[in-house]
Amino acid sequence: MSGASALGVRARHRRRRLLGHRLRVGGGVFTCALFLFPVFWMVLTSFKQPKDIFTTPPTFFFTPTIETYVSYMGRADVLHRMLNTVIVAAGAGAVSLVAGAMAGYALARVPLRGAATIGAVIMLSRGVPPIALAVPMFLVARKLGLLDRHITLILAYCTFLIPYVMWLMRGFFKALPEELEEAAKLDGCSRFGAFFRIIVPISLPGLLSTLIFSVILAWEELLFALVLTNRVATTIPVAIAGIAGDSVNGANWGALTAVGTLTVVPVVAFALLVQKWLIKGLADGATKG
Amino acid sequence: MASPTPRHPKARSRRVVRLTDLAGRWGFMSPAAVLLVATLAYPIFYTIRISFSELDLSTFSPGEWVGWDNYIDVLRDDRFWNALRVTGVYLALALPLQMVLGFGIAFLVNAEWRGRGAVRALFLIPMVVAPIVAGGVWRMMLDPLWGLANALIGLVGLGPIDWLGDPAWAMATIVIVDTWRWTPFVTLIATAALLALPGDVFEAAEIDGANWWTKFWFITLPLLVPVIAATFIVRWLGAVKMFDIALAATNGGPGRATNVINLFIYEEAFRSLNFAGAAAMAVIVLVGTMLLTAVFLRGSRMLEERH
Amino acid sequence: MTHEPRNRRLLSRRGVVAAGLSALPVLALPATPRAQTASGGGLGTAAAPVEIRMIANEAFANQWQANMVPEFNKSFPHVRVKIDGVPYPELLAKSLLDSTGANPTYDIIVADDPWVPQLAQAGALLDLKADAKAWTAPDFDWEDFNAAPLAASAWRGKQYGVPLRSNMLLMFTNKTLYKKAGLPAPTPKLTWTEYLAQAPKLVQDTNGDGKVDAWAIDTYFTRDSLTPTIWQAILNSNGGALLDKDNKPAFNTPTGVAALQTHIDLLKYAPPGAKSHGFNESLQAFRQGQTATMFMWGSVFKATAVDPKTTTLKPDEVGIQVMPVGSKLPGTHRGIWNGTVAKKSAHPQAAWALLQWLSSKQGELWHANVLGAFPARKSTLATPPESAWLVPVYAALQQAYDAADAGQMWRPRSPKSDAVQQVLADETSRAMSGEASAADALASAAQKIGRMRL
Repeated sequence: MSGASALGVRARHRRRRLLGHRLRVGGGVFTCALFLFPVFWMVLTSFKQPKDIFTTPPTFFFTPTIETYVSYMGRADVLHRMLNTVIVAAGAGAVSLVAGAMAGYALARVPLRGAATIGAVIMLSRGVPPIALAVPMFLVARKLGLLDRHITLILAYCTFLIPYVMWLMRGFFKALPEELEEAAKLDGCSRFGAFFRIIVPISLPGLLSTLIFSVILAWEELLFALVLTNRVATTIPVAIAGIAGDSVNGANWGALTAVGTLTVVPVVAFALLVQKWLIKGLADGATKG
Repeated sequence: MASPTPRHPKARSRRVVRLTDLAGRWGFMSPAAVLLVATLAYPIFYTIRISFSELDLSTFSPGEWVGWDNYIDVLRDDRFWNALRVTGVYLALALPLQMVLGFGIAFLVNAEWRGRGAVRALFLIPMVVAPIVAGGVWRMMLDPLWGLANALIGLVGLGPIDWLGDPAWAMATIVIVDTWRWTPFVTLIATAALLALPGDVFEAAEIDGANWWTKFWFITLPLLVPVIAATFIVRWLGAVKMFDIALAATNGGPGRATNVINLFIYEEAFRSLNFAGAAAMAVIVLVGTMLLTAVFLRGSRMLEERH
Repeated sequence: MTHEPRNRRLLSRRGVVAAGLSALPVLALPATPRAQTASGGGLGTAAAPVEIRMIANEAFANQWQANMVPEFNKSFPHVRVKIDGVPYPELLAKSLLDSTGANPTYDIIVADDPWVPQLAQAGALLDLKADAKAWTAPDFDWEDFNAAPLAASAWRGKQYGVPLRSNMLLMFTNKTLYKKAGLPAPTPKLTWTEYLAQAPKLVQDTNGDGKVDAWAIDTYFTRDSLTPTIWQAILNSNGGALLDKDNKPAFNTPTGVAALQTHIDLLKYAPPGAKSHGFNESLQAFRQGQTATMFMWGSVFKATAVDPKTTTLKPDEVGIQVMPVGSKLPGTHRGIWNGTVAKKSAHPQAAWALLQWLSSKQGELWHANVLGAFPARKSTLATPPESAWLVPVYAALQQAYDAADAGQMWRPRSPKSDAVQQVLADETSRAMSGEASAADALASAAQKIGRMRL
């Protein structure tokens, strides 16, 4: 093979790869735009007056109004509920992260007879229809005087978050080299010491990514929030359900999309901030599932 | 370090050390186990107890023991069987679609360029939009009267489609909305998994002159098996419980075409106040889900071991 | 880290397990009901005000808390009222769950039309004419209520509530579209035969571009528990009934099948996609001037004909009247929000005081004029309303009350009312989407409802 033709082949390869790369970027952006279109439509609708929302054909050009935002943000309970949602989502995320990560570590690294069985049972417990749990949980919470408290919702959300965290973190810990703990043991660390001082700091990206997913799931939960809270600890999804079910005037789609948009903003901001960690953490956590 | 006191014989101190070590090991498992037992044990016991009783609505406590009556009623109800069938169709369509799309999109999104980070973060949004709002916005876009969807497909000469009023299209709508909502989850895990693939294997393959199909089939896919399996199980457990999207987009209709099992259980309990029947269905669904999950867990372990 | 703290932590963890497990049997014990407060809890004093809590539909809970409660406190300054809004779909289950406790959170339950038997059966409600008699104002005029709305909170001869917000299924008409079609604006005398004969002409091209852009009708067609009320109104107006005196299905008859078939046939004159339309969609189509008629709850009138932010229509082009006349009666369907007092409330006197005030002649007048809630009293309906657009609405309401009372046009009065409605919704939707014929759907519904032992 002469040098010249080899060069030509390589150039062709590079051109083809560049084209492939451009196609990938274009395809990625296009798909993202496609997936975000309903979101765009939601945001657009939130700036419409009710009579501009259901027109034939649909309108892209209209006199925008921020009235819906103003009137809904002005209502004291929206801010109050937003705060509750933050407390509950953060609390449930934190509790399930600690408990779930430790369980995941036990499954991945701690020699323990019976742990695998318990882990399997925990995964299988996710099969319970949530509707079946809501009523008995209400009865228990009332018996203990825990209705309408943040802690009750946090515990209720843990039932579905812990198995999820455990499963993700198990894979993440399995991917870590075993020498880490051995070195820690030689340094005189106990198991707990090794876990909290060495494993946790290394796994921070993975832990954060799991936390974000847990927070998203707790953030939008409706059924338990409806049943277990009344006034003090009630969350944003309950408010949204209330606006949607307006049986007197008809659902106010301006308000619904406005509150819907408002609830998305904090989570997306949070995700943007930590997304580098997120991807890194997921990469390490998911590969050796 | 608390060193064993010299007075004790060595054997005993070793036993103490072993016991504390065992306790320490269990210490990792117990917070999760205790929390879940404390929060789930009574509700699950209550559900099973109610499913064999006539529920006393004035106290919400189990009344007269009725044996298998509630189960017999449920099994005789064609709506229950229909709900199982509908759920099966939905799962069979949505899960593979979401897995394939999720991994495919992850491949596209992983291309290295400046905006990659933003694209990945924005991809999370469909998961965050409240199901009621998501269902409503999709209804707005799909409605044949004022929706965009038919206007768009009309441009290429298709349609009009009655997305929500035709039973088959309504199922398609549910699958589309659910896929829109949950593909981002698969994509995010898949992006991470693809990033973690060892690059040196591919370089070696390229030197051997492997084409992209060979690379994909013999290298990429085997490496991805554990992730695909894990993602599938997490998504399966979420999808089997889906009812919020169906409630918001079609309310189970038209007819019973999209009345998935968890929506039917919700309707029986919260609308019809048939809590005992709902509990019986919940137990049946729990057992079924557990069996299938166990099969999937075993299957994924076998795949993991083979590769 | 030492061994010792680990041991202690382990112990405490075991303690938690033990405590958790031993708590389980305790939780399973039924609640012991507290002794009924014989005094009624009083109306409070400046030094010791009483607090009552109220569970209501989220749709009007906020409005009540902000406007109604301050007005009430002008007359009863020492009764504090907290209103919790719950989304409509979960309101019944949540009210029922709360009322089963020994110390229920809520003193007042605001219950939708078919819920009173379900709540009363569970022992949740106070019998107002017997148990609350001592606290009833001497001038509280029960006779002034129209019979139909008052009957919504009665069950088995007992009165458990008062109508707070009344609503009736009515026919909205777009007079502009009738004029364009060359048809006379409908009157309450319009029959089903006339209506169906006119319907094809109301499917029209209003701007002359060759495309149909206005249709005759949009209403509930989707899978919804309120969809069967449309054909039930047709059935009732032809003298039929959903259930007989023994609560056995009475709708599986040629009249019933014809009623459902008429409802299905309306789809021919409805906009594309109407099969999946319900409350919100039919409302939007009408507000955009796309449909000439709509069978809909009267309460939407203001946002449909008056408020320029929500509608493209003007008050004078929107007509409102009872649904078309069948072989016996005009059609309608009742939807009343009832104020009821929880049986285990610690402050039944204060709770009943609020309900009395709001449903009294003066209270109802205030409620109707200031907050726009529809009244149930004959005296209020006979008083000229402050807003002129309410005049035709009041006339339609009064007619609808009379028709509903004569034809028993409401959902089943039974503790299993919602279960019946759910079956009807299911089967109606099957017929609507063409999965079953009208006759098959009703036969299947009758079989399922017959098994329910109502």
